[in-house]
Amino acid sequence: MKLKAIFAIILCKLLRLLSRLLHRGGTAMPGRIALKLCPELLSIVSAGVKTVAITGTNGKTTSARMVEQAFLEQGKSYFANRSGANLISGITTEFVMNSSLTGKCRKEYAVIECDEAAARRVFPQLKPQVVVVTNLFRDQLDRYGEVTHTLENIRVAMEGVPEARLCLNADCSLTASLAGDLPNEVVWFGIEQGAAPSRPKPEISDATHCIRCKAEYEYDYISYGHLGGFRCPRCGYRRHRADYAVTEILRQGADSSDLVMDIRGGKHMVTVNLPAMYNIYNAIGAVAAVTEMGLGADAAIAALADFRCGFGRMERFALGKGGARMMLVKNPAGCNQVIEFLENVKEKFLLVVCLNDRGADGTDISWIWDADFEGLGQLSGYLEQVIVSGDRAADMAVRLKYAGIDPAHIRIERSYEQLVQWIEGQEKPVFIMPTYTAMLELRQVVIAHCGGDDFWK
Amino acid sequence: MELKICHMYPDVLNLYGDRGNVMCMTRRLQWRGIEASVTRLPIGSSPSLAGFDLVFIGGGQDFEQQVLLADLHRGKDREIKAAIEDGVPFLTICGGYQMLGSYYETYDGQRCDFIGALDLYTVGAVQRMIGNYSFQCEASAGSSVVVGFENHSGKTWLGSGVEPLGKVLSGFGNNSQDGTEGAHYKNVFGTYSHGPLLPKNPAFCDHLLLTALERKYGKAELAPLDDSAELLAHDEMCRRLTKG
Repeated sequence: MKLKAIFAIILCKLLRLLSRLLHRGGTAMPGRIALKLCPELLSIVSAGVKTVAITGTNGKTTSARMVEQAFLEQGKSYFANRSGANLISGITTEFVMNSSLTGKCRKEYAVIECDEAAARRVFPQLKPQVVVVTNLFRDQLDRYGEVTHTLENIRVAMEGVPEARLCLNADCSLTASLAGDLPNEVVWFGIEQGAAPSRPKPEISDATHCIRCKAEYEYDYISYGHLGGFRCPRCGYRRHRADYAVTEILRQGADSSDLVMDIRGGKHMVTVNLPAMYNIYNAIGAVAAVTEMGLGADAAIAALADFRCGFGRMERFALGKGGARMMLVKNPAGCNQVIEFLENVKEKFLLVVCLNDRGADGTDISWIWDADFEGLGQLSGYLEQVIVSGDRAADMAVRLKYAGIDPAHIRIERSYEQLVQWIEGQEKPVFIMPTYTAMLELRQVVIAHCGGDDFWK
Repeated sequence: MELKICHMYPDVLNLYGDRGNVMCMTRRLQWRGIEASVTRLPIGSSPSLAGFDLVFIGGGQDFEQQVLLADLHRGKDREIKAAIEDGVPFLTICGGYQMLGSYYETYDGQRCDFIGALDLYTVGAVQRMIGNYSFQCEASAGSSVVVGFENHSGKTWLGSGVEPLGKVLSGFGNNSQDGTEGAHYKNVFGTYSHGPLLPKNPAFCDHLLLTALERKYGKAELAPLDDSAELLAHDEMCRRLTKG
């Protein structure tokens, strides 16, 4: 153990203490400074810890929460990077805070969410036992570049950890292509044909042409976006049979879903304590992760029924008579899933959309035109009013107007304080769709009114 | 009255909200009682552009570029050139704009031949040009101030056979050096303003629609619309860019 590392650990702990005393999160900054001092710090503090790492475009945080719930319920000694501190700086801070001054981690397990662009720096040091790739969609173009760049980032990241078991979404042709390029043992999860009615091919798909030979894919079924039973008619690249499979979706409710899962040949009834199709994917991926970490399928299934959704992801607040639900949106694929959820609400409701264009949101808001807000335009019987807010509220108002929502029902409210007071006065349920930085700010105001956790908790 | 709009390559040239332009044109025609139909011409479709009053081509990812070029050279290149010479209005964005030029040369000197419908070419740069930007259209393109978002590594240089679409007010434009943005040739409007260019630039959208209607019907007028929502988004971005 080098002196340099010990000094970096002490500095990191002090900086964290200081930022908490100043009532800041201090999730990333201490680690960033400590890594400057000792670039291999993460490999030192993560040595000997059994780690599951979760990456991919959408569903990282929710999947990690599901996995974490299983560790919690099984009474395991673990920690997790809870607050979206998913770059190397934030992950290092978390490990240091769970380590002794000599860099020995006090926990047996770690549940780590990792940004897909950061994975190539994180994985080789972290040496996770199990890696989950949830999916790959086109995301903030100005930040991540084309989706194939993200895929390449994850491939390079995995080259540094050939011994890790890789859990891949079998239904995502982009994610699944990692299997052919890597020596890692691969475990597949997905939703089987017939579990849900197949969708029509979307107007905009993030993967129309074969990642290997560029011929156009054919599909046996589509579950959403480009996910489903893909196959290439030219080179034969196709969906792999899933080891962890959702075989039936029995019920999709406003708050939860009931499913049948086939877990390595065993049939299980499962309740997921969150609505919407994308959370069914998160659930089956989480089951794969928990089981492959050795906690057993029953532990994973129990966790899905119990866990509390986190941090702006379908998060509920006791605000107004009908309650409020906050649903983070970041890119077209995720946004479409939220819109589809709203189409199935089937009671009168109110909607808030907060659009920011800061670094963490993506500075380019063009993606709102790829999301199918037209679905909301057809809900005039249910959707009574839309309030738009955030730095780019005016652009959001234009998008909704062209989606077919009567401009008389669209109002711009710049102040979050005013906005939350308005929500408090409502009788009907309010659904809030914020982008990332808008979620952070608005959530603080919401919590001040009705309670909840600070963002680093 | 009716406009038949052709959306070329919606399956691969749809990067980041390009379809918003088609939605915008359609809605603004329908709100005025003018019929609008949109025909999607994906890869592998019949190349004919006969009968279309307006053609839209968006931008795409590098990944699909080879598929696209192969398809273009199966007859769509000739059709596009003939339609352009015939005065059919085109709106082409980013990759779709570059593609009408002579060629694209990557930073390390590899040359990719495009269809040569417009007298311009593009050379790859190391530094991507990304951000909100604005430009003032030339009088021949309606003189309006357009706000948009650009994200390109190619620097485009115009030959003597085309006019710039406008002058850069804030941002990079064609190449970050000569102050020009986009290209205008006959009724072709090419620009780097990717994604949903038209919704918050209603004046530019209407100029395009009017050009198509006048070509088809000789004389045409567009009834004014309530553009307060669009202009609020437009003006807010103008203010942000001037504040710098």
